[in-house]
Amino acid sequence: MLVIGERDGCRPGMEALMDRPAPLSRRNLLAGTAAGGLALVGLHGAHAQTARRGGTLRISVEQAPSKLNPLQHRVGPEYLLGEMLYSGLTRLGPDMAAQPDLATSWSSNPELTEWTFRLRPQVAFHDGSALTAQDVVATFQAILDPATGSPGRSNIGPVDSVTAVDPLTVLFRLKGAYADLPVALAYTNARIIPAAVLKGGMARLDREALGTGPFRLVSYEPSRLTVLERNPDYYHPERPYLDRVEVQVFPDATARTAALLAGDSDLMLSAAPTDFARMEGAPGVKGLRTPSGQFLNVIMGCNQKPFDDVRVRRALALTIDREAMVELAAEGLGTVGADTPVNAAYRFNTALPPREANIAEAKKLLAEAGYPRGLELTLVASDRPNTRAQLGVALREMAKPAGFNINLQTMAHATFLDQVWLKGPFYIGLYNMQPTTDGIFSLLYASSAPWNESKWNNASFDKLVEDARRTADDARRRELYARAQKIMYDEVPTLIPVFFDLLAGIRTRVQGFNLHPRGAVYRIEEVWLGGA
Amino acid sequence: MSASYLLRRLLTILLTVLIVSMLVFGITQVLPADAAVMLLGENATPEQLVAVRARLGLDLPVWQQYLGWIGHVLRGDFGTSLETGLPVGEVMFTALGRSLLLALLSLLLMLVVAIPLGVVAALRRGRASDLGIGLASYVGVSMPEFVTATLVLITLGNPAFGLLPSTGYVPLTEDFRGGLARLVLPVLTVSVILVAHVVRMVRSEMVDVLGTDYVRAARMKGLSRPRILFRHALRNALLPTITVVALDIGYLLGGIIVVEEIFAFPGIGRALIVAIQQRDLPSIQAGALIMAATYALANLLADLAYAALDKRIRYA
Amino acid sequence: MPDTLRHLLRTPQGLIGGGIILMALLAAIGGPAIAPFDPEAFHVRARFSGPGATYWLGTDQFGRDILSRILAGARSTLFLAVAATALGTVAGAVLGTLSAFIGGWVDEALMRIVDAVMAIPNLLFTLLIVTVLGASGVNALIALGIAFTPGMARITRSVALAVRQQDFVNAAVARGETGSFIVLREMLPNVVGPIIVEATIRVAFAVMGLATLSFLGLGAQPPSSEWGLMVAEARPYLFRNAWMMLFPGLAIALVAVAFNLFGDGLRDALNPRA
Repeated sequence: MLVIGERDGCRPGMEALMDRPAPLSRRNLLAGTAAGGLALVGLHGAHAQTARRGGTLRISVEQAPSKLNPLQHRVGPEYLLGEMLYSGLTRLGPDMAAQPDLATSWSSNPELTEWTFRLRPQVAFHDGSALTAQDVVATFQAILDPATGSPGRSNIGPVDSVTAVDPLTVLFRLKGAYADLPVALAYTNARIIPAAVLKGGMARLDREALGTGPFRLVSYEPSRLTVLERNPDYYHPERPYLDRVEVQVFPDATARTAALLAGDSDLMLSAAPTDFARMEGAPGVKGLRTPSGQFLNVIMGCNQKPFDDVRVRRALALTIDREAMVELAAEGLGTVGADTPVNAAYRFNTALPPREANIAEAKKLLAEAGYPRGLELTLVASDRPNTRAQLGVALREMAKPAGFNINLQTMAHATFLDQVWLKGPFYIGLYNMQPTTDGIFSLLYASSAPWNESKWNNASFDKLVEDARRTADDARRRELYARAQKIMYDEVPTLIPVFFDLLAGIRTRVQGFNLHPRGAVYRIEEVWLGGA
Repeated sequence: MSASYLLRRLLTILLTVLIVSMLVFGITQVLPADAAVMLLGENATPEQLVAVRARLGLDLPVWQQYLGWIGHVLRGDFGTSLETGLPVGEVMFTALGRSLLLALLSLLLMLVVAIPLGVVAALRRGRASDLGIGLASYVGVSMPEFVTATLVLITLGNPAFGLLPSTGYVPLTEDFRGGLARLVLPVLTVSVILVAHVVRMVRSEMVDVLGTDYVRAARMKGLSRPRILFRHALRNALLPTITVVALDIGYLLGGIIVVEEIFAFPGIGRALIVAIQQRDLPSIQAGALIMAATYALANLLADLAYAALDKRIRYA
Repeated sequence: MPDTLRHLLRTPQGLIGGGIILMALLAAIGGPAIAPFDPEAFHVRARFSGPGATYWLGTDQFGRDILSRILAGARSTLFLAVAATALGTVAGAVLGTLSAFIGGWVDEALMRIVDAVMAIPNLLFTLLIVTVLGASGVNALIALGIAFTPGMARITRSVALAVRQQDFVNAAVARGETGSFIVLREMLPNVVGPIIVEATIRVAFAVMGLATLSFLGLGAQPPSSEWGLMVAEARPYLFRNAWMMLFPGLAIALVAVAFNLFGDGLRDALNPRA
């Protein structure tokens, strides 16, 4: 899902602090002293108690879920609806591994080029019809059809063909070996739709939802309120616990926080860093926070002057005081980045020491590259979210002493998408965390990447990523990715100074909700309401 | 006022709206980045863009697109949103209804507050209360809505004080008290500039009227003060005020755009901002057209009200 | 003209308004020189300060001095507002005078278009134009100027129609002067008075309009210290440091008040009531 965030800067997704994998636990405890501390206690309690049935959960989101068709979802609020109304073959666990959803088990041939998925029997769509392998085939064919305009097309892995073996078995044939397929199929757009509906044209899915998800659609007014009710025929016998879910739209962060504090909403899926502190002192409310792989990067066109010279890129990287940047761009609610797009939130990551700011060294490199008198540059930042401009202003000031004279240009997001994104030589990008290390590398940085913004094109990097793809052994993959990361660290195709934590706000009576570091995973069917 | 006058006014409105439709359509054609770009976001590949543009009819010549569009509009069909696939007319008229509720309540509050204040200022001309009202109205006129809105939000709407719900919208039919409570802050914000504007108008008209021979004569006849004030002076002072109010409706429809955005009020202003951000052309076109038509009709109503209040005015 | 000025300064509105405008102009000219700090310099250890001895009006999210930024921002704020008004006024005056002078179907057509444009709420219209042109201070200026044009055209036209009936215009027509000569040399100078009054008050609207566009992200862009942008940028930090928003907001209101007062004073001075 790369790109969700890019579109509107939403920060979907959440996971409870306590569910984080081991390497991050100390940090989480530190992060959670104020708000998170409460969360830890609350959630432990939640697991001990039995979940209660009933009630209405009011969720506030930052923008209208304006597409109802799950194949075309692009932003957090839409993913939320997609997840509640539909199901995928697999789903993403808190440890970034695939978990069963409509598929109960899967296996591959030794070459990792053919994958077989067994479907859950006796699952019904909201209209009563039964789920079969034909529905899965039709759904993936629709995703792969360019006319559908599904972002999933470039995110579900190198799928070549999908066929039904029997009513409950599906076979995926791939264009090349791919170890991550089960995780890739958990992608937010890969929601199974009845074949009959797809045959009749997809327009119907713009106002109706016909999935197998834990909730059914009651009413849909995108810019204001979407109402869902419990699906009594959901495959899990107890879930969902809630009778009803309301999704409210509050584009303004201040207004959204006010609604949560006033008790007009129960769960705020994305909190602004500036509002996070306010939730700590408020009664009945707590802030949720989890480190994530979401980052802002500064893209430098490596195929043109002056960025074709690695010394210029390194010089710019050396001007950044990264600790200060976390303060300025993320209000301290983030982690320092080392110019590679993976961090501790990923399954495969090898930590590298972030560069320390060194203006003298930066000046020297710049002079060696042939710019002893400094450089004039124009950095473009889109206006959404405002953290892009924030990072731009900070970079401009930090790079000044080294001789970088950066002129910041901000523009409407639509104009940015049309005129600068993928084209400009120097701009600020925003990417949400990917489910896999392969995902972020092969979508953004490999030479053949669909969004190869920096045009970096490094053959040894490509080879390492490609090899890791074909490798089933975890230790061996970790090693390959570590080498790829090191190349990137030295070459600096883009600057990645800050990773942003995902932030949310919640009323304390809401139980069972976990903030997922990837965003876009919500699991509302596990949520229930405690007393008062 | 005759039927032919009314007919002529209505025809003028129609012509106006037609010109607006061309203007708006023209503007939407030259917007940087089309709907296909926004629709696909940062997932777009060139082939997908071509496919989506063809599906949306964005590859036809402009005049063909305009004729197709206006033809449907005349039959009451504003098209479907490129974003949501929902019928635009329905969505926009629902939003307009909410905005009108906001606007009418603001006008009402304005009348209730501004007229007495203006009268008081005029009667106590030159004294502290007059100067105070005058100064406050200058400040009121000079504060952009977003400043007023934010001030209102941190004081009355501050959750720490728990006075009023600050955001959102609940239909009055669903929850009358809750819905009304949520209207308070936006209505207050919108009213500030209106009140400030109209107070000044009422005051100066009142001062003029009180100075006329006609009021002096009434006083000499020994009529009671309230009677002079309400039967004679106020009525005459209100006439020009109505014209100002009609002009203010134009402001009102613009001003609510910002206020709706801040208070998360799902009216036509916010719908339009969202549509502009998403390059949702049918929504932009329908929204702007509906707003313009509303404004033209409001002006007509103001004229009619003026005529009703002042029997001396005859429309040929 | 000196007579008008004397009248103007004798009205309290004119005096107060003129005084504030003068101060704002001084800030616009000498602002950067008298500012205590570099308006763009970060003071990372003093972010979100309230008003105090070092930073008189406090600091913003980067620790930049708010007083220095307001002083530096006076230039762009005032320049953009005055220029937008001037653009709208000149364009409107020329259009209105022409329309009145030519008359006939041209007049009719122009006025219908003016009606149509005025039927679009002002803010919406500017919003559409800026969206087409792209968000920047200068484009906001142009958009606001265009949006002001129809109103000014209509006012000028009605004044010009009255002027056109007068003898000196008829005399010029009789002399056989060209149309452009009559419009520019005979008619325009005589419609100037009421237009200046209207334009002065419009500056107040321009200040507010530009600030609103900046607030919606369509006006001046970071790291500019245009006042509307300062307010917009301060808004997310409202509950952390309200001063960040209050001071530039006050500056906007103050300048808008000043132009309103000055315009009213000017009106009184130009048509003194008995």
